[in-house]
Amino acid sequence: MAKLNFNAVPFVMAVLGAVALLLTGAAAVQAQGTGAPTVVGERYEPTIWIDPDGCEHWVMDDGAEGYMSPHTRRDGTPVCHRGSICGIMPTDQLFATDRHAVTSSGRARLQGFFRQANARAFLIHGHTDSRASDEYNMQLSIRRANAVARVAQSVGASVVDVRGFGERMPRASNATAHGMAQNRRVEITCLR
Amino acid sequence: MTIKRLTLFLGAAAVLAGCQTVGPDKSRDRGVDAKHLSNLVAGVWVDPNGCDHWIIDDGLEGYLSERKQPDGSPVCSGAAPPNVAAGPFKGGSEIADTL
Repeated sequence: MAKLNFNAVPFVMAVLGAVALLLTGAAAVQAQGTGAPTVVGERYEPTIWIDPDGCEHWVMDDGAEGYMSPHTRRDGTPVCHRGSICGIMPTDQLFATDRHAVTSSGRARLQGFFRQANARAFLIHGHTDSRASDEYNMQLSIRRANAVARVAQSVGASVVDVRGFGERMPRASNATAHGMAQNRRVEITCLR
Repeated sequence: MTIKRLTLFLGAAAVLAGCQTVGPDKSRDRGVDAKHLSNLVAGVWVDPNGCDHWIIDDGLEGYLSERKQPDGSPVCSGAAPPNVAAGPFKGGSEIADTL
């Protein structure tokens, strides 16, 4: 940008002030709840932007400024579409019951998965069903996630994070055998 | 820059910014660079702790939002060194990044 004439500065400030006034000139509205205190504010209704991982964000443009924040549930977990988790490995096919050594067929399957996933890096999260204690399941899910991570690293895949959640994040009901089998899993997120 | 040119420039900026009143629906970018905000194109900015944020430079507006793992914890992927923005985050707008 060209050099500013010093004498022009007060004028420039006045113009900038006028522009700012124009941009913020929208009228405030009052939102009234039944019996609740009156809130003086302006309505800002967002839309959804979906990031490359498949997760949602609230986004708004009020004319001059843009705003964005992750769309999370009240428990802090992000709202994501199916695309974000690229592999759900049923642990029944990778490990013997209560063990964390990957079977040879499981190792071959995982190596194939990591070689063709076409991702820059991976997140590996272990989960169990609800049998046995919470503490035992936390330990088992971490050991199994670490075992899967070692297979990933053996074929040169970059692992960014390894976590175990035990029985705390079920995909299905633990009331049925089928549901428990779905909950015994290692979830792999592909970062591109 | 002369006063006249500066005034013109600021006026143009105000028009580009969509100076008409924006109602409650803030879901669109209005004016010259008009589009629905679901079409924004992001890159990754890495914060000083090494964790990822989605960054979007959309002409006049800028956006920044956390990248999260499925459990809500941050993604710290090493996509770039700390304090570096990488990827096509300036790719979603035809407006040159003069401001």
